[in-house]
Amino acid sequence: MEGIPIRNARRGDIPSLLLLWGAMMREFEEADARFALHPGAREYMATTFAAWIQDPTRIVVVAEERGRLVVGFAAGVVLAGNGWQVPVRLGRISDTYVAAPRRRQGLARRLAGRVMDLLYEKGVDTVRLAAAVRNEGALAFWRSMGWSDLEVVLERPVEPDAD
Amino acid sequence: MVEPQPPRPSVRAARRSDLQVLTDLRMRFLGEAAHDEPRLRLMPDARVRTEQAFPVWMGHDDRVILLAAPSEGEDEATPVAYAMGLLRRAPPILASQNVGEILEVYVTPEHRGEGLAAKLVAVLTDALVGRGAEVLRSAVPVGHVAATARLERAGYRPLQIELERSLGAG
Repeated sequence: MEGIPIRNARRGDIPSLLLLWGAMMREFEEADARFALHPGAREYMATTFAAWIQDPTRIVVVAEERGRLVVGFAAGVVLAGNGWQVPVRLGRISDTYVAAPRRRQGLARRLAGRVMDLLYEKGVDTVRLAAAVRNEGALAFWRSMGWSDLEVVLERPVEPDAD
Repeated sequence: MVEPQPPRPSVRAARRSDLQVLTDLRMRFLGEAAHDEPRLRLMPDARVRTEQAFPVWMGHDDRVILLAAPSEGEDEATPVAYAMGLLRRAPPILASQNVGEILEVYVTPEHRGEGLAAKLVAVLTDALVGRGAEVLRSAVPVGHVAATARLERAGYRPLQIELERSLGAG
C-alpha cells in the first residue's frame, strides 16, 4: 500500500502546521501541566515556522493526504556541538506529530525517517531529541527506532511542591 | 555546653583569578562524565575551550559560577567543588520563560559526602531565583542515580528524556 506522501513544507503550509502544532502542544499539556503554553505561543510559532521554512539549517516536512490535507509534520535542525564534547555537529529533531485519526499507519516513523535522512545529507551523524517523560507512547516509539536515553531533564518550580 | 559543629562548606562566586582551579575542576567533571557515558566523550581541545569560555561566562550576568571549599572561615582554602548555572530566557512557547538551569555541579571524589554539592545547589538556586527564574531545570546523564536522587530530594521531577541516535548505525 502506498503511504501518504511526505514533502518539504512550504509557506502555504503554515496554517496547517500551526493547527497540528497546537494539537500537539494541547496533548502535551493534558499529560503534564508543566507544558502549559505561553499566551503568545501561537503567534510566535507562526513567525517561527515561516523562518524555519526559509532556513537552510532547518528541515520541515509534512505528510499531505490527497494533495490537500496536511496530517502530520516533523522538523529538525543542524546545530553546532557544545565545543567540548562530541559531536562537532549535531542534528536535533524538534517536533514530530501526526493527527490522531492518521496514527498507527507508520506515518510518524516515515516523517522522522525523512528528517533523519535530510540531516544526514547535511553532514550530521548524531541526532538528539527530547520526549516528555509522561508521553510513554513517544518514548516507546523512539526507542523502537533505535534511539537510546542519554539524559533525564528534571524540573521544579521555584517553590517546590509539597509532595 | 555547646556541641562542636561540623565544618560547614564555604561557597563563593568564582573570580577571574580562579581560572586555573575552575578549569581543572571542570575538566575532571567532564572527564568523569565521558568515562560514565562514552557518548559524552571530550573533544581534543576541550581544555583550551574551557579556559577561553570561563572569562567570557564570568562577564555574563545571566550565568552563575560558584566555587566551594570544605569549611567556612578559610577564604584562601583551595576550592574542591564548583557549580555553574544559567538563567535562560526561553522563547514564548511554554508559560514559564525564565528558566534557571543548573548546568554543572562537581565535587572532587575525596570530598564527597561533606555536603558540598547540596550547599552549591542551594546557593546556585538562590542566585538563579534572584535573577528571576520561574522554574529550575537540570539535565542528568542516565544512570547517574545519586545525582538524580539528590535533585528529586530537592523537589525536582523528571520532565523530559533526551534521546540520541547515531545515523551511521543504519
